[in-house]
Amino acid sequence: MADVTLYHWEPNANSGKPMLALAEKGVPFASHYIDMLEFDQHKPEYLAVNPQGTIPAMIHGDRVLTESTAIMEYVDETFPGPDLMPPDPQDRWRVRWWMKFMDQWLGPSFSMIGWCTFVGPALAKRSVEEREALIARIPLPERRVAWRKAMFAEFSESELAESKRRVAQGVKLLEEELGKREYVASNQYSLADINIFNSTYGLPVGNPDLCNPEATPNIWRWLRTVYKRPAVQQTWAMGQGRFTDRFNALMEEFA
Amino acid sequence: MAQGVLYHGEPNGPSLSVLAALEESGLEIECRPIDLLAGERHALPGVKDSVALDYAVEGEGPVLVANGEAMAEAVFLAQYFDEAAGGCGLQPSDPYERWRMLMWCRQATERLSPAVAYLGNLAWSQKKLAAMADEDFQRLLGTIASEDQRRRWQELRDDVVDAAKVEDSRTKVAQFAARIEAQLADGRVWLMGSFSIADLETYAWLRSMRDLEPDAFDGQDRCLAWMDRVGARPSVQRALARATTPGPERAFAPGPEINRWG
Repeated sequence: MADVTLYHWEPNANSGKPMLALAEKGVPFASHYIDMLEFDQHKPEYLAVNPQGTIPAMIHGDRVLTESTAIMEYVDETFPGPDLMPPDPQDRWRVRWWMKFMDQWLGPSFSMIGWCTFVGPALAKRSVEEREALIARIPLPERRVAWRKAMFAEFSESELAESKRRVAQGVKLLEEELGKREYVASNQYSLADINIFNSTYGLPVGNPDLCNPEATPNIWRWLRTVYKRPAVQQTWAMGQGRFTDRFNALMEEFA
Repeated sequence: MAQGVLYHGEPNGPSLSVLAALEESGLEIECRPIDLLAGERHALPGVKDSVALDYAVEGEGPVLVANGEAMAEAVFLAQYFDEAAGGCGLQPSDPYERWRMLMWCRQATERLSPAVAYLGNLAWSQKKLAAMADEDFQRLLGTIASEDQRRRWQELRDDVVDAAKVEDSRTKVAQFAARIEAQLADGRVWLMGSFSIADLETYAWLRSMRDLEPDAFDGQDRCLAWMDRVGARPSVQRALARATTPGPERAFAPGPEINRWG
């Protein structure tokens, strides 16, 4: 039996980070698929694992770990396998900087747009009462606010415009970064690549105006390299739907 | 190993935490005080790569310029000092304890520091910024790369106050004091058991709130005793001794934004 259990949704954004980190380290894990759109993450069985009701969560022995980026750092330090942090202290600082920039500045903008265009419409078919009942079950007040906005399409135009501005700016900064080094933040593949790839692997389809071989040659080169990694392909093969379809379509492009 | 120049504001918030972490590390890095509220952070000499300064989620915090690169974000600078010194005890060596420390620091930087920065800036920096000549303020804005960071400067100068954010920030400060109180309930001396970056980062942000939000500390005796312990550490004392003005706990410049999702 595997020593590690991971509760995750699709290989995308936060759920994909520990999935890919574990795959890169060669650590087998028991996979528990949490269907975010069925709100598995707020059901009693999952709240018994993570009372915050956020995904992903990882169990290692008797330890329960949450927060995808922090889980990845734990995975890298705990298990044998290739180092996913560079040895140089300044490179390590840069890896952390880029992960925070993604987790707290760029990532929320990606997800606001994703929730507005994908998650919200997928939930619109449910009755108002059903949606209210789903919201009432969410443990964290901040998450209740976020889900309410998604379920009732309450994102304002200015909020969305700001998210789009940040996505465009973030892509520009990433392009510049990948012009300085082979990978994000250092010259070796690291947690920063795993983190950022999980939110940018679909850019050529989702934002072809922002990310294409002419406008962003460095991102293109980096995507091509990362797509080819066996652990990446193994991870996206675990998906069950549109994210893996998108990955496979792009894989043909990058092969 | 580590080199460069650390440009820091008055010892408060991220500048206090980074200066104290540097003292704990024993590294010899030159420290130069700058006026964060005058925007001096955006005109540092010797910076060839400024992205981490320009887009720091932390806002106007200290900057280490090393090999032409501007390095920012207090928690990560503290980790950098620890690692460049070959491990000075600021991070637990066990990966699980380290995970717990990172989780705590993330709560501090996502919940506590935006709240404290919001309240502190309104209380102590708004009037100073409003008194700046328009021409000077425009020149300052012109040096700030990030559009949302410029907006936070402009809103502070214009005294744009969101009552809901004020209330939410006050609640978060009180919640954090209560969280510390609960963390120390088992009699531990430091937040993570052994002394770590979590103590420095939390203390550095909470220190100013003893004056501004005294009610948040009502009955939180363990929290207050812990603050006294952190404040008495030689590293913190030496960091505080770098103050160039009386009352460094009142020195604020636009900090991290309050979560856009609500």
